[in-house]
Amino acid sequence: MENSLAEEIYSESFQLSKLQLGHSSTANTPDNLILSGSDEADFHTDDRSWYDSDEESDRELQRVQNQFHTMGYRDGLLAGKDASSQEGFNIGFKQSVVASYNWGLVRGITSAVACLPNGLRESLIKTQDKRTKFQELHESVQSLSTTDALKLFYEDIMTKEALQQSGTSEGSVNVADSLVQSSDSNHLGNYSGELQSLLESSEIKVKLALEK
Amino acid sequence: MDSVEDFFESSLSLEETQKKKGYEEGYNHGLVAGKEEGRQVGLKHGFEVGEELGFYRGCVDVWKSAICVDPTRFSTRVQKGIGQMEELIEKYPVMDPENETVQEIMEALRLKFRVIRAALSVKLEYDGYPKPKVIEF
Repeated sequence: MENSLAEEIYSESFQLSKLQLGHSSTANTPDNLILSGSDEADFHTDDRSWYDSDEESDRELQRVQNQFHTMGYRDGLLAGKDASSQEGFNIGFKQSVVASYNWGLVRGITSAVACLPNGLRESLIKTQDKRTKFQELHESVQSLSTTDALKLFYEDIMTKEALQQSGTSEGSVNVADSLVQSSDSNHLGNYSGELQSLLESSEIKVKLALEK
Repeated sequence: MDSVEDFFESSLSLEETQKKKGYEEGYNHGLVAGKEEGRQVGLKHGFEVGEELGFYRGCVDVWKSAICVDPTRFSTRVQKGIGQMEELIEKYPVMDPENETVQEIMEALRLKFRVIRAALSVKLEYDGYPKPKVIEF
């Protein structure tokens, strides 16, 4: 156990030291495949006028190659990001816009109800009990800024994603655990649910579902 | 001296090979990273758009219900404005963030909302994003 760990940790430097052993052994190490076949042979016989030793030339070459690799990598990284960021944006947008629309409905309805003149509010919501509940919902919604709500939403989707993952890869124990938590994993949905039950006892007609 | 030319030639093509290898590696990583970064931005933006649209929809629904109960409380001008808000909301391409009309419709909605709010003389405020700007006439 300890041995294999040590091997893992040191294998890299081990290989490196092998690399530096010189000409004959480098041909066998996979990390040194940058030069291949006859090129390598030519190179190693001709380069003595440029470098004091094979070891030094190998290292210099490695350095230069890394440099160009890095240059290419940077360009590629940017180009790759450019190519995929819009797609990612659209995915994220669609993932959040419906949930937040329903959440916005709660905000809009409770706000507009709170601003109605008393007589009108009483015509729309018949009982004092329900009017109080509307007001309470309004206050708890108002205490959440868009940023707060966004945080709740993030938590919800993280929980959902974790749930999906544990559902596919882990055993039944974790699934049971997640099911217990899942009622808490839909913060914004809970507000919508509360609004919906309040609306049923009112005269307010709402298009709850977001079509399209 | 032939060997010098050989050296530069081989190292030149070597540079290109390394650059290309690096580029491909970077590109593939970039695809993954860019998608995830874009998704994060999209999540936030979609949330803001959805909340604001839902907010207006909720207001419109309450006002329309109130008009049904007691039309005399709302001037024809306000009733018309509410109807226009509803049209704008329904016209908004919610599932098409790349649509060019989104900004225009949202601006129109904000404007209508403020006009109606002023006509009803209520202190109704959308506190979300972006902060309501003071409108100068």
